[in-house]
Amino acid sequence: MQVGFYFDQTRCIGCSACAIACKDWHDIPAGPEKWITILYNEIGKFPNLFVSYLIRPCYHCEDPVCIPVCPVKAITKREEDGIVVVNSEKCIGDEECNSKCLKACPYDVPQFGPEKGAKMKKCSYCLDRYLKGKLPICVESCRTHALDAGTLEELKGKYGDIKEADNFVYSERTKPAIIFKPKKKKG
Amino acid sequence: MENQEELKEEEPIKVMRTTSAFDCGGRCPLRFHVEDGRITRIETDDYEVKEEQLRACLRCRALRQYIYNPKRLKYPLKRDGPKGSGKFKRLSWDEALTEIAEKLKKVKEKYGNSSIFLATGGGYQAAFHDGMLAMWRLFTQFGGYSTHYGNVSSEGAVYATQTMYKSPFVGHSREDLLNSNLIIMWGWDPARMISGTDTIFNLIKAKEKGVKIVCIDPRYTDSAVILADQWIPIIPGTDVAMMVAMAYVIIKENLHDQEFLNKYTVGFDKFKSYVMGQEDGTPKTPEWAESITSVPAKIIIDLALEYGKTKPAALMDCQGPARSAVGELYNRAAITLTAMTGNIGVHGGSAAGGLMGIPYGHMFFRAGIPPPKRNPVEDGLKSVRGSLDLNLRFQARCHTNKIFDAILKGKDGGYPFDVKFAWFVNNNFLNQLGNANKSAEALKKLDYMVIADLWLTPTARYADIILPVSSFAEKSDLTRPWPSGPYFTIANKAIDPIGECKSDIRIAEELADKLGIDEFEKYPDEEKTLKFMLKMTEDTRKEIKNFRKFKEDGIHRIKFDEPYVAFKKQIADPENNPIGTPSGKIEIFSQRIAELNDPENPAIPKYMERWEGRYDPLSKKYPLQLLSPHPKSRIHSEMFLVEWLREVDPHIAWINPIDAEARDIKDGDEILVFNDRGSLTIKAWLTERIIPGAISIFEGAWYEPDENGIDRGGCVNTLTKDAYSPGGASTLKSCLVEMKVFERGV
Repeated sequence: MQVGFYFDQTRCIGCSACAIACKDWHDIPAGPEKWITILYNEIGKFPNLFVSYLIRPCYHCEDPVCIPVCPVKAITKREEDGIVVVNSEKCIGDEECNSKCLKACPYDVPQFGPEKGAKMKKCSYCLDRYLKGKLPICVESCRTHALDAGTLEELKGKYGDIKEADNFVYSERTKPAIIFKPKKKKG
Repeated sequence: MENQEELKEEEPIKVMRTTSAFDCGGRCPLRFHVEDGRITRIETDDYEVKEEQLRACLRCRALRQYIYNPKRLKYPLKRDGPKGSGKFKRLSWDEALTEIAEKLKKVKEKYGNSSIFLATGGGYQAAFHDGMLAMWRLFTQFGGYSTHYGNVSSEGAVYATQTMYKSPFVGHSREDLLNSNLIIMWGWDPARMISGTDTIFNLIKAKEKGVKIVCIDPRYTDSAVILADQWIPIIPGTDVAMMVAMAYVIIKENLHDQEFLNKYTVGFDKFKSYVMGQEDGTPKTPEWAESITSVPAKIIIDLALEYGKTKPAALMDCQGPARSAVGELYNRAAITLTAMTGNIGVHGGSAAGGLMGIPYGHMFFRAGIPPPKRNPVEDGLKSVRGSLDLNLRFQARCHTNKIFDAILKGKDGGYPFDVKFAWFVNNNFLNQLGNANKSAEALKKLDYMVIADLWLTPTARYADIILPVSSFAEKSDLTRPWPSGPYFTIANKAIDPIGECKSDIRIAEELADKLGIDEFEKYPDEEKTLKFMLKMTEDTRKEIKNFRKFKEDGIHRIKFDEPYVAFKKQIADPENNPIGTPSGKIEIFSQRIAELNDPENPAIPKYMERWEGRYDPLSKKYPLQLLSPHPKSRIHSEMFLVEWLREVDPHIAWINPIDAEARDIKDGDEILVFNDRGSLTIKAWLTERIIPGAISIFEGAWYEPDENGIDRGGCVNTLTKDAYSPGGASTLKSCLVEMKVFERGV
């Protein structure tokens, strides 16, 4: 089984409520460690514009490339649901291994705090909540209901199987577990 | 260190349902996780009907860094350096209140009660602990006080709706947007400015249902990003010219609803005469409007035809464009268009007017302990009730946007008082009113100042005594949304006050003792008082029967059979439900305004250029129009110190690349923005999302002048003017500036 996210790009106002709810739930201080970020894209010339936002949590790829590159096997993919988790106790820190996971990830998902030799941390699909049958906090925080989560199978049943969105490149190699309602440029 | 592979089972935690009391317009259910007397996590609404959940925005998601911020004030402070130096020393509550009471008695004896000034803002929106209500009551019982008039946010819209409808309740339930066939969002960005918690999602649902949405705004807002089928950028301050030209097209094509106008309005013929050019020789054609607004005539024509033909259509104006020298004319012109097209009082339509409120569960109807008598300083003055004559408002008061000018100049400057003692509560007015440098100068010269606040704000830096106030998480109170609903909420006490913080009502009660005002009624039992207050107001008395359940749920929702529509009764049955104006009709022409004989305040809505717009000769020296929209990550200046919010919304100025190139400004440069009133520094963000000739700086960043007087905090009001329109709108968006590179970005 593989869980994942659904993102309706046509609804995202880039407000960052999800990012702050994530920091609050996981008690992450302000600073470089961000388990979910929002990417911005602006195309065109005044007054003919196209603007989109894109969420970037961990996409919990079906074939995560961060796992094989980790020298101490600190990253694993849970068999039962496909959630990619990190054991930060095992991680030897970004200096020691030169942030191999971050370099491998096509989406810059692995996160490191500001401290020297910071250990890798990242979005866990709110595993603590998931185990209690709850949705990730980012999903429940979205004012415009642009986010959903569930098994890929369920999500595809509800929303279809679109793998592309503006400002997003689907990695055939890693197979990110996210489907979209993409925002399309006019004309 | 976390190991996500082996998560431990967590202890069960207590979840408390509550809301904020912020000045945001939303009132969102929150769930605080409380462990050992500390809030550890925050969730939002979990209402069973997911689509109707009232989900909190990013601001309340960051509440823990607000409530537990290390920079919160914890003890009373006394000034220990020159005014504005920010140097303070700790003192006890007893010492602080004793000193204040002595000062008050001396000022009263020597100068009289009119020299005691009370400056109140919207920083705390609830029934019981509100410092404005507490201090009105205390100072009234102390023999009176001077104060101010005018809501900084909405006075233009208030004046317009009082003129034309004699009612501020011009809104529809938000789900009524789905009944529309065309929505025109005119200067309205509910993605940032809340306008009611359920507003943005209902707009999304309308759009997804196929309703066409047009956004008219100098900026391509985040609302426009997801909602706009068409974005029409317009030169700031020229909205009325476009509205009037739309009226021209609608009249010319005979698309106006003459039957509706005859039955429900007065003065359309006079407006028509102005629009068609009979009055002044200038027909207000789309070409005429193009030369003013920069909106191509063809776009104006097409929109006018579409608006004239599509039924029902919702023209949604807001309050921002009225926060200018144009002021109330923007909302009056919008209302006129909704009347011309017969879109008032019908589902899917809109009465315009900018306030968007519905008269159920509204903040206006909140409970409160009123003063037992009229403020003695204002006793015997002519009643201002319902008057459109601003001069009546200034018999004993100053305009809110003139508070600091009044403090500075007093009676010599034509104001009705000389301030010797000022009490500031629920506001950061130095930061949030026009001309911050002048405000700082006034506060330096003010004899004595007390402020009650949670923070050492730019305003508080000039105080003689600062009293630390508890947050809404540290007390219980009744809260209400303002523009939409309908529902009632409660803020539940989740934690003990931080440090020695007290609520404003407790401060007033203790000060009453020090002043020897025995008749000042006290309400020591919070829960009993809240129960009593629920009985005070008709709507809660009817709706909330079980206090315990209300407290546990944190919210009481009201269900309507169908969405609320403003003026539905008045349109369906005008005989029995006349509009509240003297004529009993919607007043496109206002006899009350005509009688004021003020050429600046026309009796029908007209396009007027006024000052510091694109065509003011001052624009040769200062060619850029400064916009100061609401920030998405603060409630005005509240929450400015919250790091989680600052990192997702850095303080940047929106600049069109055309204007940047002309000044060799590159993206990321630190720029100096300046005019004769002051200068500030801010990072430049080059974007096509703003019309050339304008610069946008979100309001609310904290004023921080350096040794050269340059505001390094980027407070937009360092540049704005302390003035008001003929209808009393604060003119913060009529502001011309220039900019240049200050420090090259890296």
